Amino acid sequence: MIEISHLKKFYSKRLIIDDLSFAVKTGSVFGFLGQNGAGKTTTIKMMTGIAAPDSGTITIGGKDSADIAMRETIGFMPEAPYFYDRLTGLEFLRFCGALFPRHKSDEAYAQILKDIGIYDARNRSINTYSKGMKQRLGFAQALVNDPDYIFLDEPLDGLDPLGRREIKKIILGLKTAGKTVFFNSHILYDTEEICDEIGLIHDGKLLYAGGVKEFCKGVPLEQRFVETVEEEARKPVSP
Amino acid sequence: MKNIFVIAKNTFRETIRDRILYGIVGFSFLYVAFSILLAKVSLGEIVILKSFGLAGIYAFGIIITIFLGASIIYKELERRTLYFVFSKPVSRLQLILGKFFGLYAAIVLVTALMTAVYLAVIGWNGGGFDALGLLSVFFELLEMAVFTALLVFFSTIATPLTSTIAAVMLLFGGHSMSSVLRTASQIGGPFYRFIQAVYYIFPNLEKFDIRSLAVHHIAVSASVVALAALYAILYTAILLWLANFFLKRKEL
Repeated sequence: MIEISHLKKFYSKRLIIDDLSFAVKTGSVFGFLGQNGAGKTTTIKMMTGIAAPDSGTITIGGKDSADIAMRETIGFMPEAPYFYDRLTGLEFLRFCGALFPRHKSDEAYAQILKDIGIYDARNRSINTYSKGMKQRLGFAQALVNDPDYIFLDEPLDGLDPLGRREIKKIILGLKTAGKTVFFNSHILYDTEEICDEIGLIHDGKLLYAGGVKEFCKGVPLEQRFVETVEEEARKPVSP
Repeated sequence: MKNIFVIAKNTFRETIRDRILYGIVGFSFLYVAFSILLAKVSLGEIVILKSFGLAGIYAFGIIITIFLGASIIYKELERRTLYFVFSKPVSRLQLILGKFFGLYAAIVLVTALMTAVYLAVIGWNGGGFDALGLLSVFFELLEMAVFTALLVFFSTIATPLTSTIAAVMLLFGGHSMSSVLRTASQIGGPFYRFIQAVYYIFPNLEKFDIRSLAVHHIAVSASVVALAALYAILYTAILLWLANFFLKRKEL
């Protein structure tokens, strides 16, 4: 279970995340949706221990996100990831895996690369990878420790339709294996297919958290999303 | 401890694959060829060969450290590769130490290569085994440790250009503070006290320069070696602690 309670974050005295509270059930796929700059990445960074909240709490599997031991149970894929370009794909996975107390064998890393679809490029320098291949490698490194909780920041960005289909299949496979997947996205037509629940964030405030069907009420997710955000934008700003 | 080693190994691997490194090492070998030629012109004067060789090892060591160290943390912050590291059970301090040791190991390796060439050239020109020259290189490596830590520290708070300028200024300042202090002591008063404060705050890199002693066969006592090593370790530790202090407070 992931629990976020009264989370606040300021950047240069500007409130970026405003009293965010929601929960994600174990073994579910949760899509965190919002426009660019809504606060999705800031939230995921706080959840994964990269940034610290100014107030509020985040617990993942009962452990506080500030606890370094919590990070043994999670995997995180950043948005549009950059890599150590002079390493090969396999060397990069070995590096990421070695940062955990129990790291895997080369065979296990090779299997992850096979599952993710870049096994043939494993011994190539990362600077020769295409954008889509880098995206997949970013996903692969989030799985090196066989995490219970997987956080993905815009995982479908930069992928072609076939690539997106494969990644969605892997996300659903992780769900079947009992993993909890939390991902940020502004691409809504893909989200609808794979999410059990969604959270909708706008200007740092949570507008909705719950089931996809309950939110959509029979209309497509994208349409409902636009309506909700526009409705929120029309509200007068409180002094 | 394990994570420091993992990050150091990765940094070392990345560093030795950097093309800039090969370019500078290439230049250093050209420099060796030039110094041999110079020795021939000066009728095989071994002092000139030693003087040029040790100065070359030092200069190229400093150039390599600047090129590889000025952006070592900054690059990770800018390119957000730190997100991969800090979403794993890795502390800020482990990253700083891993980066430092990885970069320093690469600098030691390149210096060792240059030293091997230097010793071979000296031996080949009838100078025998230059043990004092080797000790001088050890002192240079102590200075490189302080200088590497200085660059790691600057790269957590500044851009590569600012880091380079600040580090080069401190390098020159660090080598001239002793003589500035001597001059200031003759003037006395508040100016002397100010220079004294600067002298104790900034690194005194003259402690690591025994090149002229080595060239002229003047032995160095064990206490001088121990004091220089202790000074380098302490200064390096303080700089890395400061780098960790600022990195912890940085919004990623």
